[in-house]
Amino acid sequence: MEYIVEMLNIRKEFPGVLANDNVTVQLKQGEILALLGENGAGKSTLMSILFGLYHMDRGSIRIRGENVTINNPNDANNLGIGMVHQHFQLVETFTVTENIIMGAEGRFLLDRKKAGEKIKALSVQYGLNIDPDEIIEDISVGMQQRVEILKMLYRNAEVLIFDEPTAVLTPQEVHELMQIMRNLITEGKSIILITHKLKEIKEIADRCTVIRRGRVIGTVDVKTTSQQQMATMMVGREISFTVDKEDRKAGDVVLSVQNLNVLNNRKTPALKDFSLDVRRGEIMGVAGVEGNGQTELVEAITGLRKVDSGRIEINGREISRYSVRGRNEAGIAHIPQDRQRLGLIMDYNLGENFVLKSYYHKPYSKYGILKKEAIDKHAEKLISDFDVRAGNGVKSPAKALSGGNQQKAILGREIDLDTDLLIAVQPTRGLDVGAIEYIHKRLIEQRDSGKAVLLVSLELDEIMDLSDRIAVINSGELIDLITNDSNIDENDIGLMMAGVKRGEQQ
Amino acid sequence: MKRDYTGIVKSLGAVFLGLLAGAILMIAIGANPLKGYFYLFQGGLKSIERIGNVFAIATTLILTGLSVAFAFRTGLFNIGAAGQMLIGGLCATVIGLSVELPRLVLLPVMFLAALIGGAVWGVIPGFLKARFNVHEVVATIMMNWIAYWVVYYTIRNYFTAGLETESASMPAAGQLRVSWLSQLLSGSYLNLGIVISILCVIVIKFILDRTTLGYELKAVGFNRHAAKYAGIKVNRSIILSMMIAGGLAGLAGLTYYTGYSVNIQIGILPSQGFDGIAVALLGATSPWGVFFSATFFGILHAGKGFMNANTSIPPQISDSIIAIIIYFTATSLFIEKLYKKLRGRRADRKQIKAGGDE
Amino acid sequence: MKKILLVVLVVAMIASMMAGCAKKADLLATVGMVTDAGTINDKSFNQGTWEGIVKAAEEFGYEPKYLKPVGTTKADYLTEIGNLVDSGYKLIVCPGFKFETTIYEAQDKWPEVLFVLIDGTPHNDDYSDFKLGYNVAAVFFAEEQSGFLAGVAAAVELKTAEFGFIGGMEIPAVQKFNWGFQQGLAYANTNYGTSATIKAENVIYQGTFDDVAAGGAIAAQMYDKGVDCIFTAAGGVGVGAITEAKARAVNGENIWIVGVDVDQYPDGVYSGEKSVILTSAMKGIGTVAYDMVKAFHQNTFKGGVTLIFDASNDGIGIPAENPNLSSETESIAADVFGMLKDGTIVVSTVQGDLIK
Repeated sequence: MEYIVEMLNIRKEFPGVLANDNVTVQLKQGEILALLGENGAGKSTLMSILFGLYHMDRGSIRIRGENVTINNPNDANNLGIGMVHQHFQLVETFTVTENIIMGAEGRFLLDRKKAGEKIKALSVQYGLNIDPDEIIEDISVGMQQRVEILKMLYRNAEVLIFDEPTAVLTPQEVHELMQIMRNLITEGKSIILITHKLKEIKEIADRCTVIRRGRVIGTVDVKTTSQQQMATMMVGREISFTVDKEDRKAGDVVLSVQNLNVLNNRKTPALKDFSLDVRRGEIMGVAGVEGNGQTELVEAITGLRKVDSGRIEINGREISRYSVRGRNEAGIAHIPQDRQRLGLIMDYNLGENFVLKSYYHKPYSKYGILKKEAIDKHAEKLISDFDVRAGNGVKSPAKALSGGNQQKAILGREIDLDTDLLIAVQPTRGLDVGAIEYIHKRLIEQRDSGKAVLLVSLELDEIMDLSDRIAVINSGELIDLITNDSNIDENDIGLMMAGVKRGEQQ
Repeated sequence: MKRDYTGIVKSLGAVFLGLLAGAILMIAIGANPLKGYFYLFQGGLKSIERIGNVFAIATTLILTGLSVAFAFRTGLFNIGAAGQMLIGGLCATVIGLSVELPRLVLLPVMFLAALIGGAVWGVIPGFLKARFNVHEVVATIMMNWIAYWVVYYTIRNYFTAGLETESASMPAAGQLRVSWLSQLLSGSYLNLGIVISILCVIVIKFILDRTTLGYELKAVGFNRHAAKYAGIKVNRSIILSMMIAGGLAGLAGLTYYTGYSVNIQIGILPSQGFDGIAVALLGATSPWGVFFSATFFGILHAGKGFMNANTSIPPQISDSIIAIIIYFTATSLFIEKLYKKLRGRRADRKQIKAGGDE
Repeated sequence: MKKILLVVLVVAMIASMMAGCAKKADLLATVGMVTDAGTINDKSFNQGTWEGIVKAAEEFGYEPKYLKPVGTTKADYLTEIGNLVDSGYKLIVCPGFKFETTIYEAQDKWPEVLFVLIDGTPHNDDYSDFKLGYNVAAVFFAEEQSGFLAGVAAAVELKTAEFGFIGGMEIPAVQKFNWGFQQGLAYANTNYGTSATIKAENVIYQGTFDDVAAGGAIAAQMYDKGVDCIFTAAGGVGVGAITEAKARAVNGENIWIVGVDVDQYPDGVYSGEKSVILTSAMKGIGTVAYDMVKAFHQNTFKGGVTLIFDASNDGIGIPAENPNLSSETESIAADVFGMLKDGTIVVSTVQGDLIK
């Protein structure tokens, strides 16, 4: 009875893809087992089988040593298996209690009070710190995730599956989540953690099963295995974690933001007297917790948001009244935060997407008539230069591309604009290690070739790996501007991101 | 020609489903669907004259269908084709009835008048949408009624002759009907309008596929946010798109009121304006698709009466049958899209799990 | 072109499949009708004509058929006539002035087919040529007499009252109803000592025959302004007015409607037995349609003529029974009908100094 969950020799095939090939995963009672693999390695399929969302073609599942069949999530729930999904399944306008008891209301009567008490007790027991009467839309993402966890506990789950739980969290929230997971283990629960972040595995997991292309590469003891080793198992080749970057002397100011005031969508100040210079040959990283004005800063610079007051200069030219196109022409390239919503027109093919900002120029058009040949030729060049993998080449619609290739396409298009300023917002969000490595390399290249790069990211690691200088932003104010050298302290930055200025730290 | 045939296959499938739905209704009222469809298609195609009439009916539908389809490509829902068509027809009629010019000059002037009239009627909702974010569906419906009463007032007070419910008849010089064409098709109503329609199909196809304007408009239609990000002036595109859509519907008015009919009736919002929505949907909002779907609707409209006359299907039911065929045909594309979306989402999920990169 | 080819192919396939059942002998295709704008159940023009045709067809053993045009243009009308002709129909009834130019073309295009044109006479598009073919009977009604009679009856019944008029489109038939009605009110004032008044602001042509909601709104305005009785000659618009009147009558308001074309009493019934329809200005459409089919059956149909139906041949009138009229009123109405019949009273068919 050592294993609480055993998935033995699981095989699952989708048309054309073998998602799981003879996969065996065993979870011990009271441990945290990490499931590590690149995107598309087959982790989520495996967990979906365990949770009853998919049916396996072959193999067996054993719970506490007994063979079971799981046909749907209800079966899974009844067996004490709960899943915290990456995308929360909560009703925004309901309270915490209502969300938790939804689907488990009992027969007819809703005993909200009793449910509330039970939730409160669970919350205290596991250190979740949740107020059952709060409305979901009023609480932070981290708190919402705890509601998801509570939902499982409320249903007496013994095994909790976390699917990429830290993707949406701030560093502090990640830290708190780790603590909660430890509490869960202390209270006798068992956890499967799906992730591709090695650092987290190292910090929290006991064992780690590595999956690559639908097969189990091996299961290792986390304590005795280095991150480097796990990464190699995951990717199948050596991965360099440190970004090679030579010191460079920054040149003239390209982007100068002066005393910028901008309102957010709710018409409250999003940026307050914000000033920042970005120079040739440097990467300026903007670090901050989500929703502290980064989005508005980028939108204000690129012309997607109206400036309330202040100046924005590109190479000394005031552009804050320019149109979006005027700014692009003045020298801004922009890798947007949301590649599907902003960066690409998903129904356009690659060729069309590659000229999104230049279609009206020669040679792509003449007298208002598009020159398809020139557009295709351009696209072919970028596809090969930036290693964009697409089934039908130039003619592939953007929506047919994987996320990494979409991002490479955007990267290629923006770099190809050859502007003095490159703004990159969350350029590696949701991508796997290989794509991240590639994109980082290209960003450094841009810096090295004398471009000014403004990097906005919620991943502090990314900021610290790439930036020459780091601007920490909190509540729309510039908290501090730090040179990224060997003296830098990650904890200091974390505190600054929380709004604590340098002088105020002990 | 390198071409993607899936659209055509889908549309044909939709037509089949529509006919099937119609057949079920016929069976439900105790009629023989084979017989019904036999007479329906015979009514549309059994003689040169009738085939000519099919295209005469299709002429207007092609243009209203193009109007709706074009706006749709920019992500706008033009419910106002009926009103734009009325105003286009009014402008052409007013010119035709009040100016005496040789035909070779008069017809182009009327053409321009209809184009501009419809464009103005389209550009107003476009402007309201761009400037004040008034939803174009609301604005175009309002414009329909304004057009209705503008035509009512203008024709009633200045251009009637004899009957109060319609304008005086267009003199021969201002008609799109040409005797040689009618004679060639043994008395059919087919007129020069069909030439205008086909030219518009070609021009619109060119604009959408080959010009920077079409590139911008489609970009706005597919993804407004991305278009804005790329520096495309979204508001300008909306206004321009509605202007062109309105102009097309205006030309529909020209072909209808000076070709199919030779006067303009008051007190009626032309149904072709609304049928244009179905035409556009069935045609998968592609110009040639619109051409063929309008032709199909032309057959239905032309053959409906013949089916009535030869079967026990009463006219109200046959109207329902035609409506069911049209709307089932049109919506089955929607259903298909919806299905694909759902399936696509599932497939995406699979991909994510099974081999994607996201 | 592929698609057309395919359609043709499908048609050919169906055709071959049905070669057996394609003979259309199973019904006696003979009497047809093409409707004007509006439905067959319009409670007036189309419906009245159709009921007459059906009655005759049943009596003489025909299968009647009506077709509803897609639009209201000449091309649409001609298409439906062509559909009937191509299916073997020999007599085609077309109710409404809108068929004038249509019949002008149809009478020459299909010389072997007989046509009845109600409320109109065939002419070409620009009125430069009027021609009544030997195969066409044009039928007119003396709407002014019908309106006159209803006007007298209404005025005599209500004695002191404010009247209103709601018309559909401003076309001759409707105008004649209106002017006749006004003359009837004046006649009652002069000869029977009533005090019936009608204000210019309460004579309204709504502009359509099918906007039910607008009919209700206009009627509500009139009643609010103190009108006691409204004469509606407006098809569906009138139906809206009747609905409004019923709603008010239920609340105890003492208001009335004078119906049109057919006896609309049943349409005005509210709370059981009562009706807001005071009386109706009728026109014998159904009778005429019946007579025409009968003549056709007996081979006595005569084309090339214009037939006028008025009091003299009982082609117009008010209903035989008017539960809302007193017996005195009914007898006065009968007297007036007699005087219309023998020509003692002549009702003007032009506006003169009447309202609109």
